[in-house]
Amino acid sequence: MWNNVTILFDEYMGTGLIIILYLMSLIYLWVKEKRNYVRILFIYVPVILLFFFFNPFFAGVLYKLAEGEIYYRILWLLPVTVTIAFAVVTLYGRLPDKNRTVFALAAAAGIALSGSYIYRNPYFQKAENFYHVPDSVVHICDAIVVPGREVQAVFPLELVQYIRQYEPTICMPYGREMTVDRWNNWGELPGEMEKEIINLSRLAPLAKEEGCHYIILSEEKTIVGNPSEYNWEEFGRTDGYVIYRDFDFSLDIG
Amino acid sequence: MRKDAWILTALRILTAVLLLLVIPALVGGLFRQNVDKDMRGPVFQWISGQIFLWACFQIICVPMILLEYDFGYVVKAFNGVTVLAALAAAVSLVRNRKAVTAVTEIRGSDRKRSARNILWILFWMILLFQFVQAVRMTYRDGDDAFYVAISSITQEAQTMYRKLPYTGYATILDTRHGLAPFPVWIAYLADMTGIRAVSVAHVIAPIALIAMTYAIFFLLGRVLLQQKRDSLPLFLIFTEILVLFGDYSFYTVENFMIARSRQGKAALGSIVFPMIVLLLLILLRRLHEGEKISLKSYILLAAACMTGCLCSTMGAMLCCMLVGIVGACGAVVYRRWKILIPMALCCLPNVCYAVLYLVLG
Repeated sequence: MWNNVTILFDEYMGTGLIIILYLMSLIYLWVKEKRNYVRILFIYVPVILLFFFFNPFFAGVLYKLAEGEIYYRILWLLPVTVTIAFAVVTLYGRLPDKNRTVFALAAAAGIALSGSYIYRNPYFQKAENFYHVPDSVVHICDAIVVPGREVQAVFPLELVQYIRQYEPTICMPYGREMTVDRWNNWGELPGEMEKEIINLSRLAPLAKEEGCHYIILSEEKTIVGNPSEYNWEEFGRTDGYVIYRDFDFSLDIG
Repeated sequence: MRKDAWILTALRILTAVLLLLVIPALVGGLFRQNVDKDMRGPVFQWISGQIFLWACFQIICVPMILLEYDFGYVVKAFNGVTVLAALAAAVSLVRNRKAVTAVTEIRGSDRKRSARNILWILFWMILLFQFVQAVRMTYRDGDDAFYVAISSITQEAQTMYRKLPYTGYATILDTRHGLAPFPVWIAYLADMTGIRAVSVAHVIAPIALIAMTYAIFFLLGRVLLQQKRDSLPLFLIFTEILVLFGDYSFYTVENFMIARSRQGKAALGSIVFPMIVLLLLILLRRLHEGEKISLKSYILLAAACMTGCLCSTMGAMLCCMLVGIVGACGAVVYRRWKILIPMALCCLPNVCYAVLYLVLG
C-alpha cells in the first residue's frame, strides 16, 4: 500500500518543482502569518491531510471503498494555487518599492519554468467545430442518422469516443471501452475492423451478428471481397471514410 | 448563416447567460446578508447562488434517477425550485435594500491606483485568453465518451443512467454514477437553451466554470489580503499563472479545470473545494473575531458539500473530510467545541449519499 501511495504522489508531483514552491510557501506562511484562521486552513489542515494521504491504514480503507486510481484526489484538498499566490503576494508586500517589480517578474518566471504550460499538452488541439468533435464524426453521423429511430453502426476505433457525444441515437456494438487496454475488452469485431486488410468474409458476418445498419471503414484500408455479396452497398464517402449500408437490416420507423 | 438562425443562436446564448449568471446571481441574494461583511458583492452572490442551485439540483435529481423518472420531471421540478428561490431572493433584496453596503473603496496615490488598474487589465486579458482558448481548443479525453455521452443521451432520450453511454444499449440503472449526476445538469442546460449537450459540455459550461473558479479566488483573495487589497489583482494574476502552468502532471486540479472542465470531478476540484475553503475561512474568521455565525453560513456550507456529491461520488467523502479536519482544528484552536455540531450536520447529507453509494453502488 505504501508503495502505491508514494508512486501516486510521485506521479502527481510531476517534476516536483511546483510542490517544492508550495512547501516553501507553507514554511514562509508558518513563520510570517499570524492570523490563526489563516494558519488553520493554509498550514495545519494541509499538513494533516498529507498525514492522512500517506497513512497506509487510511489509504487501505479508501482503496477498498473507492477506486484506488482516484486516491490522488485527496491532494486536490491542498490549496496549492491559492497558497503559493498568497505567499508570493505577501512577500511582495514586504519588499521595498524599488524591488517589487523585479520580484514579481522573477516569481512569475519561476512558476512558469517550474510548471508546464497547459495548452502545450499534446492532447490539446484546435477544435474543428463548435461541438469539439472531429468534422468527420459530424459528417458521418449527419449522413447516417434517421430521425425518429436509433441506428446501429460500427466505426473505426479512432472515432468511437466521439460518436455518441455528438449523436446519441447512433448505437454501436462497441465503444470507448475497446480503446483502454487495461480493461481487456478486446473482441473479434474490433479485431477485424482494425486490420490493415479487411476481409469481408470475416467482417460481414460479425457485423451482421451485431445488427449493424452501417459499417464505416477508413478509405486507406484494403478490402478483400465483394460488398454486394453480403447485401452491402456503398452509402457514401466523407473525410477519408467510406460508409457501407447493410440492406439485411431495415431502417423503417415503427 | 441566415438572419433567423443568427437570432436563434443569440437567444440560445442569452438563455445560457441567464441560467449561468443572472439567475444564480439573483438567487445568491438569499445569502447577501448575515454571511459576512466582505461577502456582500455581486461576485459572492453569483457563486453562492450557483452553489445553492446545484445543491437543489442534487436533492431533486438523485431520487428521480433512483426511481427511474424521466428527465422531463427533473427539468420541471428544478425550474419550479429555481423560480421559488429567485422570488425569495428578490423579496429578501427588496426588504434589505437599505442594509446593503457600498463596495469598499480602495484609496491610494495616483501612481498606485494606475499600477493597480494596469494589473486589473492584465488579469482580465489573461482571463479572456482562457475563455477564447476554451472555445478554440479541444482536449481529447476518453472520459468524455462516458460523461458527455450521458448528457447527450439524457437530452435526447429523456432517460437518466438507463442506457450504456459507450454503446447506447439499454441497461439496468447505473446507480453508482447516478448518485453524482453532474452530466444531467449539463443536459438540463442543453434542454433549456436548445443547444446540443455536446456543445454545452465542451464550450458553454467550461467558460462558466473557469469564470467561477477565478471568482472564488477573488473572494479568497479579499479575505486573505484584508489589509492589502491593493495586491488583489496581483494575487489573481499569480493564480492565473499557476493555473496556466499547472499541467505538471496528468492529475493536477489545474489540468482538470482547464482541460476537462465539463466533467464533474473538475468542478469538484476547482470550484467546490475552493468554495468550501472560502466558507470555512469566513467561518473561522468570525470565530476569531468573536462574531456570531449565522444559520445562512451553515446552509451555504451544507450546499457546497452537497454540490460535492453532485460532482463526484468521491466528493461526498472528501468534502466531509475537509470540513471535519477544519472543524476539529477550529474547535481546538478557539476552544469552541460547539461548532462541531452544526459542522457535522452540514456533512450529514454527504454521509447519506456515501451510505447510498456503499449500499447501491
